[in-house]
Amino acid sequence: MMEGRSAMESPVTRLPTRRRTKSYGRSCFEASSRFAYTSGQLTILRIPTTREAPRARNIAERVDPEQVTLLIKNEWKLSYVTPLYRFRHTHLKKYSKHLSAFIAAEKQQGTAVEVGLETGYRVTFSTVLGIAETDEDAETVFIQIQSKPMFAATGDALKVVWSGWLTCVNGSPEYLHSLLPDFVSLPLFCSSGPENITVVVKSWFEKMFDCRFGSLGLDSTSLQWLCALWTGCHPDNNIRYLRLLWTLPTQPPLDVSYTVNPQDAWELWNSVRQEDSVDGTVGIDEVKHFMAGLESHFFRHFKIYLSSGTLRKVSTALGSAQQDGKVKILCSDYLATVLTLLTECAILKMPI
Amino acid sequence: MSKTMSKSHNVSEAESCIHGAANRSSRRSERRRADVEDPFGRALEYFSQVKAGTPVKGNDALENNLVLVERVALGRGLPPGAVATLLDFALSLRLGSSVCSRVLKFLIPASAVPQDSVVRGVSWFCMGKMPVSAQILFLRWILTMFDLIDSKDQLRSIYGFIFSFVTDEVLSPYVCHLLYLLTTKEHVQPFRVRKLLEVQAKMGRQPPLTQLLALYKVLCPEMIAISMPSKTRGGFKNHNLPWKTALAAVLKKNKTAEAPSPPLSLDIKEKASTRKRKKLHHLEVPQLSCGPEIESSRGKAVHLQQLRSFAQLLQNLDNIELPAQMGSLLSSSLALHYLDCVHDESALLRLNFWLGSVLHEEFLFCSRDGNPENSTEPSQFLDMLISTQDFLQECFSSSEFFLFKFLAMWDGSLHQPQILSLLSDIPPLPVSRMKMFLFEPLQQLYFTSSVFFKCGVIECLRSMLWKWLTWHFVQTSHKELDVSLSSSRTMNLHMSEFLELVTELVQYVGRLASAGLQLENYHILLHHQTLNFYELVCDVYLKFNLPLFLLPPSGVIFPSLLATDPVTVDRLGYVIFRYRQNLMSAKEHKQQKKEPSFHISRDVFREFNLLMVAVVSCLWISKDCQVDVGTDVHKALVPLRTMLSYCKNYNLIHHPAFLNYAIEFHQKCWPEQTNVDLSSIQGKKYWYWYLEFLFSQGFDGLKDFIQNNMDHQSTPVGGH
Repeated sequence: MMEGRSAMESPVTRLPTRRRTKSYGRSCFEASSRFAYTSGQLTILRIPTTREAPRARNIAERVDPEQVTLLIKNEWKLSYVTPLYRFRHTHLKKYSKHLSAFIAAEKQQGTAVEVGLETGYRVTFSTVLGIAETDEDAETVFIQIQSKPMFAATGDALKVVWSGWLTCVNGSPEYLHSLLPDFVSLPLFCSSGPENITVVVKSWFEKMFDCRFGSLGLDSTSLQWLCALWTGCHPDNNIRYLRLLWTLPTQPPLDVSYTVNPQDAWELWNSVRQEDSVDGTVGIDEVKHFMAGLESHFFRHFKIYLSSGTLRKVSTALGSAQQDGKVKILCSDYLATVLTLLTECAILKMPI
Repeated sequence: MSKTMSKSHNVSEAESCIHGAANRSSRRSERRRADVEDPFGRALEYFSQVKAGTPVKGNDALENNLVLVERVALGRGLPPGAVATLLDFALSLRLGSSVCSRVLKFLIPASAVPQDSVVRGVSWFCMGKMPVSAQILFLRWILTMFDLIDSKDQLRSIYGFIFSFVTDEVLSPYVCHLLYLLTTKEHVQPFRVRKLLEVQAKMGRQPPLTQLLALYKVLCPEMIAISMPSKTRGGFKNHNLPWKTALAAVLKKNKTAEAPSPPLSLDIKEKASTRKRKKLHHLEVPQLSCGPEIESSRGKAVHLQQLRSFAQLLQNLDNIELPAQMGSLLSSSLALHYLDCVHDESALLRLNFWLGSVLHEEFLFCSRDGNPENSTEPSQFLDMLISTQDFLQECFSSSEFFLFKFLAMWDGSLHQPQILSLLSDIPPLPVSRMKMFLFEPLQQLYFTSSVFFKCGVIECLRSMLWKWLTWHFVQTSHKELDVSLSSSRTMNLHMSEFLELVTELVQYVGRLASAGLQLENYHILLHHQTLNFYELVCDVYLKFNLPLFLLPPSGVIFPSLLATDPVTVDRLGYVIFRYRQNLMSAKEHKQQKKEPSFHISRDVFREFNLLMVAVVSCLWISKDCQVDVGTDVHKALVPLRTMLSYCKNYNLIHHPAFLNYAIEFHQKCWPEQTNVDLSSIQGKKYWYWYLEFLFSQGFDGLKDFIQNNMDHQSTPVGGH
C-alpha cells in the first residue's frame, strides 16, 4: 500500500519527522525531554527528486574482482534490515562458526551441536572492501554457505548452496548520524539460495544482533528510475535492449511486455534531458517524461494506456529489477548507482 | 521451571507454628501421662540409634515407630530435624531397601528440608549400595521437595558428583532435571558440554537432556547451538506423584494466615497456534535469551530468564544483563518490571526498532502473504501492546510513529478498539505535530463513520487528555518536591506549550462533539460520551491543578440542556456546578496569593456567567428569557436559538425530560385530581417539594447545581 504511492504524489514520506534518541523513557526524572523537540531531533527522510547520473567506473580498481564476480553473478532477493546491534566487522570468524553451528542445529531440531565443530555446512563471512562510497557507510559483508556432500571424498570441492550480503551505499547521512554508536546500519540485505536457509540466516541475525528483516519490494517509481538510469548508460555501455513488463488491471490481468530498441530508448532519453541538468544529475521530472514518452508511443500503436497498469519489471543488458524485489546486476560498472538506489529504498522502510 | 520460589520468609513462621502445635500437643500429653515421654521423640530416637542388621520381620518396635512417624508425617508434616534423621536412617539402608522406600514415601516435610541432610543423602547415593529403584525414589523425592530445601549452595558445590550420573541410562532423566534446577553459569564447562553431547549422541534426544542442554545454551550460548522443535513436549515430567497430595495437604494446613504475595512468574504468554509459523513469524515475541558473549561481560551478570520471582529481580537489579533481543522483554510480566528500570538508550532503541518493524510489517506493509482472514493474532498482539503500555504508563515512540502513519490509511474499522486505545496513549506533542498527524486524519474518519465510532473517538480523546493531565500533575508535584532540579523558567516554557496543547485538544473535541451531535441527531450515547469528556475538563483546576477553564461550546451545552433524557440534563447540571466550583476556588486563590503568573481571563467569567444565566433562566425562571447566547452559536444551530425563545416551556416542570416526573409528582400531591394542571406546582411550597422529589430520584448533579446556584428564598418568577 505504501509502495503504491509514487514520488510525484508524495515527495515526502508519510511521516516526515523522526525522533531518534528519546523513545520510551522514564519521564518523571527528565521532565524537559518529553516536550523538548529541538529541531536537531527532527530529521526528514525524503525521496530524492534528483540523482547523480550514472558514471561508468571500473570497480575492479577498488574492489577485489573475485568478490565483484560474486556480487554480479546471481539474482538477488532484496530485504531490508533494521540496524544491527553490536555487529563487529572484526568478529566475522566467530560469526562464521556460530552460524554454521546454528544452521546445523536448525537442521536437526532438538539436537544440540557444539559450536566450532565440523558440521555439514561451512559458513564464510567476509568483508567486501571498497563497495562503500562514503565514510559513514559500513563496509559490505558477504556471507557464503557451502555444504559438504555426505559421501564426499576428501578432495571434493564444497558446493555453494547459499550466498547473501549486507550493504549500505550512500546511505542517508542524517539517518546514519542519528544512530547510536552501538548500531551498525547495513540496511540492504540480498540473498540468493534456498528459502529455508534464508529463513535460518535471518533468524540467526535477528537473535544475534537484535535486528529484524522485512521484504523489500521496488515500487514503480524506483523501477522507473532504474529504467532511466540504465538507458542513460547506453553511450558508454551498450544496453542491447530495454525490456519493460507491465500488468494491466483487466479481467483477467493482461501482461504487456514492451521491448525498446536501445538506440531509440537512448534518443528518447536524450531528448527529455533538460539543458540545465547537464551537470551530472538526473531529475524525477525527466524520468517521468521519459516514461510518458514510452507510454504514449505504445498508446499510439495499441491504444492501451500503460500508465493505468503497474510496472513490474525492467531489464537491460546491464541488469534487471522486479517489483517483488528481485534484482540482477549484470554489469559491475554501475554497481554504486544501483546500490545507492536500493539502499535508499531500504532506509525508507525503517520503522523509526 | 518455576520451582525455586523463595519461601524463606514464611518458613520461620511456619516452623514456629509447628513448634507451637507440637508444644500444645506435648503439654496435653504431659497433663495426661506425666511420666510418659513424647512418643514421637522416642520414635525418632529409635530410628537414629537402630543398629544395622536388626531384624525387620516381626520387629514390633520398628513397626510401631514407623506407623507413628508415618501418621505424624502425613498429618502435619515432619519438622526439619525429623526429616534429617529419617532420611539418614532410610538411605543408610540399615534395615534394608524395603524400609528405605517405605520411609521415603511418607517423608513429608512440614516446612523445610535441611540442606545438610540432602547432601548426606547424596553421599549415601554416591556410595553405590542403593538399589536403582531406591536411587530413583530418592531423586524424585529431592525433585519434589526441591523448593523446600532451605538453601542450595552446598548442593551446587557437589554439582560434579551429581553430574557424573548423567551417563546412567536409567537415572539420566532425573539427574538431568536435578542438574537443571542446580545449574548456574559457573557449572557450564566445555567438558560437561562435550559429555552431554556424547550422551545425546548415544541416547538420542531425550527431552530432559535437551532441556538441560537448552539451559546450558542460555547460560553460555557461545559453547553450544541448539534449536528446539516448534512443538516441544514438556521437558520434565512431574516426579512428585507419591507425595503430591500429602505434601499439598500438609502445606495447606501449615500455611499461616499471612498469604504470600502472588508469585510473579515468568509467564511466557501462550503463543497462538504454531501453524504457519514461518509466514506469520513477525508477530511472535521472541524468547528471552542472552546474546553470545563475544565480548567479555561482567562476571556477575545475571540473565533475566534465570530469575523466577520479583524478590530475585530486586536482589539482582544491578547485575542483570539485557537479553539478546529486547523485544523479548514484552513476553513476561517480570521482564516488564525490569524494562521499567532500563535507562540504556540503545536498549530502548533496539526495542523500538523491533516493535516498529513488527507493527509496520503487519499493518502497513501487509506482508501477510495473502491470508488476511486470521485477524485474531494481530489483535492479540495489539492487546499485548496496549497492556504493556498501560503497565509502563507510557507510549513507545515506535508505536507512536506507527499510529501516525497508520491513521493516514486506516478505514476506521480494522482493529478499532485496539487502535483507539493505542491512540489514547500518545504523549503530549507540540500542537502543530498533533494537528497534522492526529487531529486532521482522525477528524476525517470521525465525520464519515458511525455514531459508535464517534463515541469511541470522544472516549479515546478523553482518556488521552486524562493521561496527559495525570502526567502533568505528577510532573508538577514532583517539581515542588525537588525545586533545585529544574529552573522555573524552562518549566514555564513547557507549561505554556502544554496549556496550548490541552486547549487545542479541548476545542477540537468541542468542534467534533457539536458537529457530531447534530449529525447524529443528538444521539444519546454521543451525548453522554461528550458530557463524560467535559466532566474531566471542568475539574482540571481542582483535580489537576492546571489553571485552565474551557467551557463547552454552545453546540454541546444547549442540546444537553434541551435533551429529552433527564440524565443528560442532570449531568450537564453537574458539569456546570463543577465549573463554578473551579472558578470560585481559582478566584479565591488569585485574591489570596496575588501571583502575577496566575491569570484568568475576564472573558472566562463573562462567558460562564452567560452560560449560567441561560441555564438558570431556562430551568428556573419560567419567563421569556432574554438570553444573549453569544455569537458562537453556530448558524446551523439557529433552531436552538428560536427554541430558546420558548424557554418558559423548559423549566423543570415543563421540560420534556422532566415532564414525566412532574406528572408523577402532581398525581402524588393531588391524587384525586384527574385534570393535570402542572402550573399548580409552581406555587412556592409545591415548587420546593417538587425539587425535593426530583432530588430524591437521584438527580445529584441537578441538586448540586441548584443548591449552589440558587438563593433558596427565590421562587421561580411567575409563581404564585
